[in-house]
Amino acid sequence: MRPSFPMPNDALSDSLAEKRWLTALSEGDPNALGGIYELYGERIFRYTFRMLGNRTDAEDATAETFLRVVRRSAELRADGAFRTWLFRIARNLCIDKLRQHKLMELPPDAQYSGAEERTTLRVTVHQALNDLPLEYREPLVYCDLEEMSAKEAADILNISVPALKSRLYRGRRALRDKLGSAMERTP
Amino acid sequence: MNNDLYQKLVDLYAGHELSDELEQELETAAADDANLAFEMTSLRGTVDALQSDPGPKFTEESYQRILMKLYARGAAIQPKAPAPAHLQYHLPIMG
Repeated sequence: MRPSFPMPNDALSDSLAEKRWLTALSEGDPNALGGIYELYGERIFRYTFRMLGNRTDAEDATAETFLRVVRRSAELRADGAFRTWLFRIARNLCIDKLRQHKLMELPPDAQYSGAEERTTLRVTVHQALNDLPLEYREPLVYCDLEEMSAKEAADILNISVPALKSRLYRGRRALRDKLGSAMERTP
Repeated sequence: MNNDLYQKLVDLYAGHELSDELEQELETAAADDANLAFEMTSLRGTVDALQSDPGPKFTEESYQRILMKLYARGAAIQPKAPAPAHLQYHLPIMG
């Protein structure tokens, strides 16, 4: 079951926790990284899995993302832009991995995990998404899967909101076309 | 209405971004236009399929492996020790 959309109180408490852990990190608190990992580990893992298509690479990329947070903690500002910055780090790592290992040419894990998720439609959606060019896949991952706002997704990609929306809409059409042909092939 | 405008409206319809009023107007227009109806239902179906995707599970094993990777690379983070066996189960109260 998809996690429910965070209620305002959850968002507020996450924002306060983020501020607290970022301050702790800047002060060299040894518990700070653990706190930030608790807060964002799952989202970064899900994101890297969707970008890379397999669990092992997603775990590596997630660990590396948080290591870079520590190494670059001098750049941190608890001004609400941390999440964008964190996703940018994760994105750059994913793009490096895709380039280095040419993962796009390898078959990704066809299934996530858990019997209930192994429905044809979900596997097909996952496969079709992986077949899309990165230019289209990324806006779909940010906006439709990670439920980010267009502004936040555009900030991560360093493009304008209209450009993001244009890619998102073209991506949805491309995915629809891929799903259509996949469904026709499925007996 | 021209095609570009229809296309923009269909994109907004697919993402549930139209007001109820505009959505109803578009659905009325689609009743007489099979191509428009196909575009609307197929695109919205794609968005709904994406948005209902539960995503990969962040398992306890993945959580622990990432912690171990961070720890092995010298990060100030402690892998969580598993809870001792005697704390994992509640014994029935006797008597």
